[in-house]
Amino acid sequence: MKVPVEEGYFRISPEGSPVLLGSYSPAAKTYFWPRRKRCPISMEAVEDCELSTRGEIYSWTFVVAPWLGSMEKAAGGGFGACQVDLPEGVRIQAPLEGSMGDWTIGQPVELVTRTVGEDEQHNELCTIAFRLLGAAS
Amino acid sequence: MNRDVFVIGVGMHRFGKHDISRRDMAFTAGMEAFADAGVSFADIGTLYTGYIGGNMLEGVGFAKDFGLTGLPVIHVENASATGSTAFREAALAVSGGACDVAMALGFDGQLRNMAAAGGPRRPSMESNLLPAAFFAFWAVRRMHDCGTTVETFAKIAAKNWNHARFNRYAERQADKEITPEQVLAAPMVAYPHTAMMACGAGAGAAAAIVATREVAERLANGRPLVQVLASQMQSERYQPGHVFLGAIVGPSESTRITANLAYEEAGLGPRELDLVHVHDAFPIEELMYYELLGICAEGEGDGLVAEGATTIGGRIPFSTDGGLIGRGHPGGPTGLAQIWDVTQQLRGESGVRQVEGARTGLAHMMGAGSVCVVHILQRV
Repeated sequence: MKVPVEEGYFRISPEGSPVLLGSYSPAAKTYFWPRRKRCPISMEAVEDCELSTRGEIYSWTFVVAPWLGSMEKAAGGGFGACQVDLPEGVRIQAPLEGSMGDWTIGQPVELVTRTVGEDEQHNELCTIAFRLLGAAS
Repeated sequence: MNRDVFVIGVGMHRFGKHDISRRDMAFTAGMEAFADAGVSFADIGTLYTGYIGGNMLEGVGFAKDFGLTGLPVIHVENASATGSTAFREAALAVSGGACDVAMALGFDGQLRNMAAAGGPRRPSMESNLLPAAFFAFWAVRRMHDCGTTVETFAKIAAKNWNHARFNRYAERQADKEITPEQVLAAPMVAYPHTAMMACGAGAGAAAAIVATREVAERLANGRPLVQVLASQMQSERYQPGHVFLGAIVGPSESTRITANLAYEEAGLGPRELDLVHVHDAFPIEELMYYELLGICAEGEGDGLVAEGATTIGGRIPFSTDGGLIGRGHPGGPTGLAQIWDVTQQLRGESGVRQVEGARTGLAHMMGAGSVCVVHILQRV
């Protein structure tokens, strides 16, 4: 079974997809991720909400380093990473599936899970990543 | 500043990858600062020690190597801005009247790689990406928005490597001039940044002693006085597209806000600066800070690089000691290394790296989390 590597950032739906756990500030009419204890703009209370799982690439890079939780570089020598703007105005950064040359600013992407290890109960520990909309998993 | 504050002494231990202990480096930098100022440890009213690595006993413990005078010793930690924050606290202690002479002492050992640290990063949401990715995001977006080329990044990095060649305390002292082509040919770290564009991550120590006007004038011994005209620090303010998780240094706008506060406090503007130090962990940062500090208009930073304006000998030299890329960037002392160079530049003591006629210098640092610190120093 898939479980988040840390609680409070996203949940995994019964279908196995990630759902981002955010906050909404009625006073500032602004969404945030991850969840805030108070609105950082108005300092007023915020409401829990769930955010879109699709957005557009704001920026990207290819990092030549081992993947999180590993000592060995991935095939291709590293991994993609991106900042993504969601329709709610939230910007999120996360790994990006694919290869150097696949990505351009403004491309639509969707949120997916990525396994980074296993817990003591043999659950798959997952973090979030993005992949180009329509790309094969 | 309630009372005028002056830098009366600076000292350093060379930055770099070596096995000299933090304690020995701190002692060397501190003793050099005492000698430069013409004071002894007995004259120091308050000591601010800045370090990120090590343990909580080190600051007050290392101070015992200088003496046991009973002075207050405070450990300051603010990520990359640790040394800048320690300097600011020392300046505020003198300005506020807590003491007439205060010292900031920063030190840190070198970063260990994953294997030396005992294994891979522990999976967490905050560590989902490496810091190198964050500044690469800035770079790729800049290339998209302004047409900046990788050659521009390479020119900035090569400049800072070449400034460091003549700084005896720099981590990277190349024996020949570094070309942009060499920078571009280095292994990739995070596109478009290569290893020669990334800041050095060695060990080092640096110190600065500040004092009142009366003390500074008494100890001047014919040398020009260097006044701290402004000391400003800001944490983040919300910006559209604010990244809350893994953002390293927060919105770039923090630099503009903090610099404007510093210009207002100093009563001058960017046109009156003669040299500038910034948090150039990667060249995209230096490029963006040209504009955010008001040195040039939005989108004109690439032109400054093309004309060589930010090289020593240009109209507004940046990173005159090599910056984070060339001089190196141990977390604790980096901000104090900037103060070391600006002070020597304003005194006219920088040898072949001297900025002719330098009267006013600005030192800018970012600290992960994040904070921005800006100091403006002036020869008076």
